[in-house]
Amino acid sequence: MRFPLTALTTAAVLMLAGCGLGDAETPANSPAASASGGVTGKVSLQTWSLKPKFTDYVQGVIDSFEKKYPGVEVEWLDQPGEGYADKVLSQAASGTLPDVTNLPPDFALPLARQGMLADIGRSDTAALADYVEGGLAAYRFAGLDGVYGYPWYLNTDVNYWNAELMKKHGLDPAKPPANLDELIEQARTLRDKSGGKVYLMSRKPELGDLTNAGVKVMSDDGKSFTFNTPEAVAVLDRYREAFKEGLMPKDVLTDDYAGNAKLFTEGKVAWTTAGGNFISSLAVDNPSMAPKVVSSKAFGTPPLYVQGVSVSARSKNPAAATALARWVTSPDNQAAFAHLTAIFPSTKASAGDPFFSKSDGTNGGDAKVTAFASLPEAKMLQPVEVGEAISKVVKQQFSLAISGGATSKEALDTAVAKADELLQQ
Amino acid sequence: MRGFTGENVLRYALLLLVLVLTVGPFAWMLSTSLKGSGEDIFTEIPAFLPQQPTLNNYARVADSIPVWSYIANSLIVAAMAVTGNAVGATLAGYALARLRFRGMKLLLGLTLGTLILPGEVTIISQYVTVRGMGLADTLLGVALPGAIAMLNVLLMRTAFAAIPDEMDEAAIIDGADAWQRFVRIGLPNVKGMLSVVVIFSFIGAWDDFLWPLIVLTNPEKYTLTVGLQYLSGAFSSDPRLIAAGTMIAFLPIAVVFGVAQRFFFRGVEEGAIKG
Amino acid sequence: MTRTFQGRFTPWLFAAPGLVWLVVFNLWPAFNTVVLAFTNAKPLGGGHFTGLANLGRALNDDQLATALLNSVIYMLVCLPVLTLLPLLLAVLVEKKLPGITFFRTTFYTPVVASAVVVALIWEWLLEDRGLINGFAQWLGVIAEPLPFLTDRWLLLLSAISLTIWKGMGYYMVIYLSALGNVRRELHEAAAVDGAGAVRRFRSITVPGVRNTMLLVSVLISVSALRVFSELYVLSNGTGGPGGQDMSVVMLIQMYSRGFTGHLGYASMLSLVLFVVTVGPMLLLLRLNRKGA
Repeated sequence: MRFPLTALTTAAVLMLAGCGLGDAETPANSPAASASGGVTGKVSLQTWSLKPKFTDYVQGVIDSFEKKYPGVEVEWLDQPGEGYADKVLSQAASGTLPDVTNLPPDFALPLARQGMLADIGRSDTAALADYVEGGLAAYRFAGLDGVYGYPWYLNTDVNYWNAELMKKHGLDPAKPPANLDELIEQARTLRDKSGGKVYLMSRKPELGDLTNAGVKVMSDDGKSFTFNTPEAVAVLDRYREAFKEGLMPKDVLTDDYAGNAKLFTEGKVAWTTAGGNFISSLAVDNPSMAPKVVSSKAFGTPPLYVQGVSVSARSKNPAAATALARWVTSPDNQAAFAHLTAIFPSTKASAGDPFFSKSDGTNGGDAKVTAFASLPEAKMLQPVEVGEAISKVVKQQFSLAISGGATSKEALDTAVAKADELLQQ
Repeated sequence: MRGFTGENVLRYALLLLVLVLTVGPFAWMLSTSLKGSGEDIFTEIPAFLPQQPTLNNYARVADSIPVWSYIANSLIVAAMAVTGNAVGATLAGYALARLRFRGMKLLLGLTLGTLILPGEVTIISQYVTVRGMGLADTLLGVALPGAIAMLNVLLMRTAFAAIPDEMDEAAIIDGADAWQRFVRIGLPNVKGMLSVVVIFSFIGAWDDFLWPLIVLTNPEKYTLTVGLQYLSGAFSSDPRLIAAGTMIAFLPIAVVFGVAQRFFFRGVEEGAIKG
Repeated sequence: MTRTFQGRFTPWLFAAPGLVWLVVFNLWPAFNTVVLAFTNAKPLGGGHFTGLANLGRALNDDQLATALLNSVIYMLVCLPVLTLLPLLLAVLVEKKLPGITFFRTTFYTPVVASAVVVALIWEWLLEDRGLINGFAQWLGVIAEPLPFLTDRWLLLLSAISLTIWKGMGYYMVIYLSALGNVRRELHEAAAVDGAGAVRRFRSITVPGVRNTMLLVSVLISVSALRVFSELYVLSNGTGGPGGQDMSVVMLIQMYSRGFTGHLGYASMLSLVLFVVTVGPMLLLLRLNRKGA
């Protein structure tokens, strides 16, 4: 009976702290709580894979926070990219979640369900006005009241085209395909003209592609999947035909998201989708290809990727933790971060910043501007309920349908049944 | 130098054949780690030899992460694992192979049994145990669960079991007790397997990623495999750096292997004289 | 009882450290797994007793049936090949020739190569336009590239080759240590008698490493039934179209990892795999007893 008791006391502390914070709160645009709100003590901040490239930036944010609140001491823990889910899970399971943790929405959902995260809709209502709605929506979950994270940085995908390959094989890189029909048509041209040597497409459809085709992936209450519709069958059938026609490499059947970008980097395919900073990583992996790449807006509704920081419901210094979470995600600090790399702030204040809307003239700069321009209409195309296991069974069934091992309808029915099974309990 | 007999030529031919089949990963890593920043790495057919060979990537690894302190942490963990296994697994293996006692069969069965049960689901419960001992976020906590691996107990048991019974019987007649028999007859005859256990436990501890990641929270205590992950960060990953890091992590393994493999044979001198 | 190490507790003194580790770090988690197998536990929360519900679910799980079939095929191929090839390799590198340390170390490198590097190299070999397909097409042996990485059976075969490639060095090391104990005098006596290399191998080497061969074959069957990384790496974690190339451990991994994993069901799958593995192992031990 220990857990409910601690939970109760934590909740009580949180509410008290929330009130204190609310009283002392400065107007909505100020990023931080007032020092009189009890922002003291030791708090831990856990980030994901920001060292060593952003060590100076994060340390700067922490130093300025400690300077602003002299009674606070911040312990910074940066975890490596690989295995982060396991790390956070073991922290959560053993009750040692850091006070402030970088959690993408699909990590935050299960923790919020267990009451492990503070609802900032209750503890820090004034903050909500600072952030764009898409960012906040990512931390509101079906079946739960409240907002369980401060949106941090955002990203989306754009299309990248290998202009050299396109020109060489009779396509105009200035007029890349703008939808699936054009994509398949140009893929055919490229295949024929290159004698089957170069592909345009190298990507299986995902749940996001179904969302884009108007399929409702999940019921509103987040309790069951609904993507086995005729529209979904039509999408899978198109890809299946294209695969049969030889418009995609066979290895696409087992390639994951990174596989697509990898094939592009190797010069085997002429199209990939990736985030706004793809060209800069291309410049490292394949420097001679990087200048020959052009970008265009994603097909349909662009996907929205959100990172955020959540406050542990069991934090011993909730006032300091909340202040730190807001400080890290404040308009100024986010803008400074976004100037360092191709990510985008989740605060409204940055919307008019010409830095994001004007290209420096390079193809990398163009891609960043394309991505930024897509952000307002970008949406999370895949429900947060889709965890690792569910996305794996969906991938398996989609690839079975495309390979011809089952009809699209059968594959979709199996995928929905298995995904529902995984969702339950 | 002995002359090239027909047998030796055949041996070298076979050795080279196997070498071609096994050397791939090593050669690829080495080549990538030496490539300059202007070279393409992921072209359709990557150039095997670096065109602008440089050691710069190694220097950059040392600049980007505290590689020396990670190596020190890894060495501490590996040393604990090697000591624990060399002592604990050897003693237990001896008991299972050469001493008769009630419950021996049951113990052997349980040891084998734990090898069969998949460990994938137990990692969190393992963490809770280590945390309960107050060893979360310590290097000791990383080393502890693997400090006596049941696989090594079985390996040592097999080695001890291969010693002819007559040797023990003669010693018993001479009045030697279990400890004396262990030291005088047991140990000298299992040097080979002992070095295998040293290699396996060193490499196991050195290469482990998920477990140290879960146990350790403070990045200063990270072991090398965990720390090297910083080279493939969220917004930056240079395969040349990763390859250089992998090579750095690989070197100590090669050294330990090279040293330990000399003990595979009962006496190094014997092999040198008669081989 | 004048001497310290003569008493009836002596064996227990030797076994004590190992015993403590056995109980704390092996039996206790195993016990937990057994308990969890009858609950609906999740990594966070859950954990109500659900009786035999997980077992019923497992018996009706067609993916588990496929995975078990894959694992058994895997074992049947790996067991003979990996019991013998590494022994031959050990005999090859046993002799102290100039540079032999280099060869021994290099043969061992696949064991410690990181999964990422291994995946890169093997995909480069096996892709549609990989080295092997390219070479076979150039020779004119095949017209169309073989789908080594996407066909259900070819992918399994590719993974088995990868296992053998990695396992050679590993088991070679174990054999090498055992070969050191095979008496050199026996070999020399036999050579003087005029016995050929093949006969010496069969009549001296094999009997000399008999116990080690048994242990190695037990280890091979256990690890073949528990194959994970090779299939995972070659299929980029997808388990092939329709998940037809998943092994049981891949299934366990899929269900147990992540925030919403079905820990209870994954534990039940572990028990199923345990039961399946015990069979071949008892058989191997029995065969050995008969042979001895």
